[in-house]
Amino acid sequence: MLKYILKKEFLLVFRNLHAVGVLFIMPMAFILIMSLALKNTYSSEVEKKLDIVFVSNQNSNAIKSITKDFQDNKFFNIKSISNTTKKDLLYENKNSFLVDIPKDVFKAIHNKDELSIKIYSKPDAQQDKLELLKNLLIKSISSIYVKNITQGQNINANFNLEEFISKHYIYKNKEFNIKPNSVQQSVPAWLVFSMFFILIPISNTFIQEKLLGTSNRIKSINVSLWPIMFGKMLPYYIINQIQVILMILVGIFIVPKLGGDSLVIQGNLFYIFIISSFISFAAISFALFISMISKTSEDATSFGGLSNIILAALGGIMVPKIVMPEFMQNITEYSPMAWGLQSFLEVFVRGGNINDFAVYLVYLFIFGIIMLGISYILLKRKNK
Amino acid sequence: MSIEITNLSKRYKENLVLDNINLTIQEGSIFGLLGPNGAGKSTLVSILNNILSKDSGQIVFFGKDFDKNTSYVKSLCSFVPQTYAFYTDLTCYENLEFFASLYGLKSSDLKNRIQYCIKITSLEKYENKRASTLSGGVKRRLNIAIGLLNDPKVLYLDEPTVGIDPQSRNYILKMIKNINLQNNLTIIYTSHYMEEIEYLCDDIAILDKSKIILHEKKENLLNKKEVFIELENNESKTIDVSDSYDEFTKFIASQNNIKDIQFKHKNLENMFLELTKQDLRD
Repeated sequence: MLKYILKKEFLLVFRNLHAVGVLFIMPMAFILIMSLALKNTYSSEVEKKLDIVFVSNQNSNAIKSITKDFQDNKFFNIKSISNTTKKDLLYENKNSFLVDIPKDVFKAIHNKDELSIKIYSKPDAQQDKLELLKNLLIKSISSIYVKNITQGQNINANFNLEEFISKHYIYKNKEFNIKPNSVQQSVPAWLVFSMFFILIPISNTFIQEKLLGTSNRIKSINVSLWPIMFGKMLPYYIINQIQVILMILVGIFIVPKLGGDSLVIQGNLFYIFIISSFISFAAISFALFISMISKTSEDATSFGGLSNIILAALGGIMVPKIVMPEFMQNITEYSPMAWGLQSFLEVFVRGGNINDFAVYLVYLFIFGIIMLGISYILLKRKNK
Repeated sequence: MSIEITNLSKRYKENLVLDNINLTIQEGSIFGLLGPNGAGKSTLVSILNNILSKDSGQIVFFGKDFDKNTSYVKSLCSFVPQTYAFYTDLTCYENLEFFASLYGLKSSDLKNRIQYCIKITSLEKYENKRASTLSGGVKRRLNIAIGLLNDPKVLYLDEPTVGIDPQSRNYILKMIKNINLQNNLTIIYTSHYMEEIEYLCDDIAILDKSKIILHEKKENLLNKKEVFIELENNESKTIDVSDSYDEFTKFIASQNNIKDIQFKHKNLENMFLELTKQDLRD
């Protein structure tokens, strides 16, 4: 019997182009787009230098020395000043920042005079780049000033601290050495998202069965509820596992072909299987709950789709948790998608083991049991 | 006797849907259940198919208590809903295969039974066609074919000819009659089409406002006669003369302004409208 129940569910899903699109095409597209879009967020490499202009008096020695110091930086490209307004320099000439430093900046510092250094930008300038420019200016002006005041003394002021600073990642698993990148983050994120979208085909089938009377016909047959329920859950569990394999393959083979980083899988593959199984259980139970409270496919698609998007937004799927403010990061802890994502990130990014994500699996299991329990009670009540 | 229903009642919150229903359905007969919309037909059929539970009353099913022998009852019954209760994205064969497996059929038994059901409902040409592409008549036949998979003793057909062309309807009615005769199958048939009930059924019951208001053998019902008397003052009177002419003769003797007298055989539609008071139902 199970063979034909599984066959039926698989045929219904794979003959439904909308379901295939939502379950497979949408997450693949998201992984590709987000991996490429967030590539620089997780990398210290700069793809293109931003153009800046020093609008100060170019003949001043102080400005000349600061400009010279800036020539070698890897983030900004110094452009020469042209005889135009600040507005045109930003909007017409497409410079990112303008810097106005007083010509006697060092004298003012030395004499503790009033000093004003101005950075001009468009209102939608990247704030992190603005901060970076500010810090580089502080560094440049400070080092030149120190050099100036220590001239002639036996003090080594000509040093570059950056050469002595290097980055080191500490992983939970000592054999783990994956460099953080966007694909390492986006594959698990959009994988969890797509797994929860299993609710679209589940609820559609479930509601069609209700509306067409197929569920009543099945109820009238001498067959236990359990193979039917199991037969409903198992195919979608298998489809979720197919999603896991496909999305990982996209991360490994397709994203690098389009210029992104390649997904690297290290550590225990069994962990990925365990985590995806718990996510699948939670997602399918949630789908059954949505199916029970919806009267039509439109209800299920809109209510289910909306709740999935809210859970994804809260769960750090759409915007990585690390860039959220603290109070939003706290809210994230209440989304089942976040529990799935954090478990995957433990394996994909931090090299963690089962102790690191067991608590999330417990949350997912409890969530799944509650959803399944409510669905069962609603089903019983409707039958009365 | 295959099914005996005694004092069956069902209530949805405040609404009494079935009120002390008493019915007896003979084994091998075609039992027609008529009633206006909202009369309680679907509720009664759903209870008999274990889809809904009853509030009170007793059902004896082939000599066994209905409530204590649910599996036995289910194994003997098959329910063909009014809707196309199958998967439109599957082919006819895939649908039959799925439902046959739910009935517990396996390997060669499953294949043989499917072939039998395809043959009896003339679905050979459509076996591998997706149900969504079939005409209304063929979909109805597939609906019935699924209902025959478990070789039932009792088949419930809920308005199986709704929305199809006259040729398909005629074909399905003949098919139902044949299945009943060949297999001594008890069929419980609900419909709004009086001529279908007249053509098919041996026993007829009318359910209205939660109660059975008529239950008779078809031959008794259709032997009913009445006289329509029109008076010169434009008043009229109809008198049932199926059993006796006494009331008619007394009335004639008492009148001296009779304009017209018409003798009629009652038909089911007239009786139905008369009994259910002709008023519009939701």
